[in-house]
Amino acid sequence: MRNISFTENHFTATNHKTASVVSPWTLHGAVCLQRLPVISQDRNPIEEQFSGLMQQMELERSLLSDHELRLLEDAARMSRKQEEDYDSDEEEDYGDKEIVTAQDLEDAWEQKLKQFHPAQRSNGDKLDVSSSERCLADSLVLLIKQDVGSQKVWLLPQIQWMAGETLRQTAERALTNLPGADLKATFLGNAPCGFYKYKYPKDIQKEGSVGAKVFFFKAVMFSPNHLPLKKNSFAWVKKDELKDFLTPEYLKQVYRFIMSL
Amino acid sequence: MAGIVCRTLSRVVSSQTSCCSHVVSVRHSHWFTSILSPKTSVPLRAEPKKKKKIDPRREQMMKERLKKKLKKLERVPPELIPIEDFITSAKCFDETRVREVPKLSFEETERRALLLKHWSRYKFSQHQAEMAEIKEALEAQRQALDELKIESEDLYKAAIAPDTDLFPFQHQGPCYTPPIPNYEAPDGKYNDITRVYTQ
Repeated sequence: MRNISFTENHFTATNHKTASVVSPWTLHGAVCLQRLPVISQDRNPIEEQFSGLMQQMELERSLLSDHELRLLEDAARMSRKQEEDYDSDEEEDYGDKEIVTAQDLEDAWEQKLKQFHPAQRSNGDKLDVSSSERCLADSLVLLIKQDVGSQKVWLLPQIQWMAGETLRQTAERALTNLPGADLKATFLGNAPCGFYKYKYPKDIQKEGSVGAKVFFFKAVMFSPNHLPLKKNSFAWVKKDELKDFLTPEYLKQVYRFIMSL
Repeated sequence: MAGIVCRTLSRVVSSQTSCCSHVVSVRHSHWFTSILSPKTSVPLRAEPKKKKKIDPRREQMMKERLKKKLKKLERVPPELIPIEDFITSAKCFDETRVREVPKLSFEETERRALLLKHWSRYKFSQHQAEMAEIKEALEAQRQALDELKIESEDLYKAAIAPDTDLFPFQHQGPCYTPPIPNYEAPDGKYNDITRVYTQ
């Protein structure tokens, strides 16, 4: 009995597919492009305390290194030289170590370090939201201001799906279609990481499409590039700044898969 | 008397040989040596014949003996290469290197114990947060795939197909300071003193 009914359903389903149009939702592909952190984060107070403690404990439990032994020897030798009854013939033959003491070596190394000027860790608050060099210690997500219906809304770059391509290709197209952008990004896998569905407002509802379903794909940017778009039309935001840009429903879905670890 | 007899005998013999030598000289060819010539010529000439049989055998015996010796040497298992990480160097047992550490006060030990406990609580909460975030992301992905399956089977199948271009995936992790643009790092000189062992 069960088998027969199953085949009937299958048969009717295929008939239904060939007969009518597909589901009433239009498909969109969107890309969640992230710029991963470039520098390490600053430490919390608790982390600072703990790292200090660990260094102290390591120092206490360690043995003296060659360099430290040499420092001690040099210090002992200097103190012996200061005494009145100093006889240099009694000393062993140290050779080079007398000319260049360990302390001199340390000073030379410090001088060399000072000659190297590393780049600044934090750029301060000079950079606004449209620069991708903003918060180097956090991962940033790209947002675009697009027209949806009659309003301009902030959302992740999305584009409508065309027949004959996979959704990942749609997402790639969404990225390359951004005007003036040649962002090189690696897409992480074929599967979408999240979705969002919304119904069109009544006036725009065409026949056969009640609303749209957006599937998000994750991508990681690996070459810093400045988008030559209009100033206010795109933004690089951290996870906790998303709520200032996105609508609540959209935010709720997007928040789930954006990682800020 | 005896001497005279000997001399006469030898004269007779020599006269006999001298007269016989005429007869003998006809047959005298290089194949026949005279009786009075040294005896060593006979075995010398026979030796090349012996070399054909005995010496090849002897050489073979020598070769076999050498081969057996080689095999015996090879059967010895090769010396194991020491793992330098597992050998504590003699420097660690050097007594002159012991660091003098001042004894910790009671307050210091208390502070350390409390800090360690605080740290374990902090790390636990951090771990909980991380696990929750990962779980949420996985759940979002699972729901997205379910929705896609409802939409169309083909797209779903394309989505769950493995991506071969992704791995090997490389990414430079965060450093302490950001990279300086167009920076040329100076070449470093180093002496490689790793010991190479051969078996």
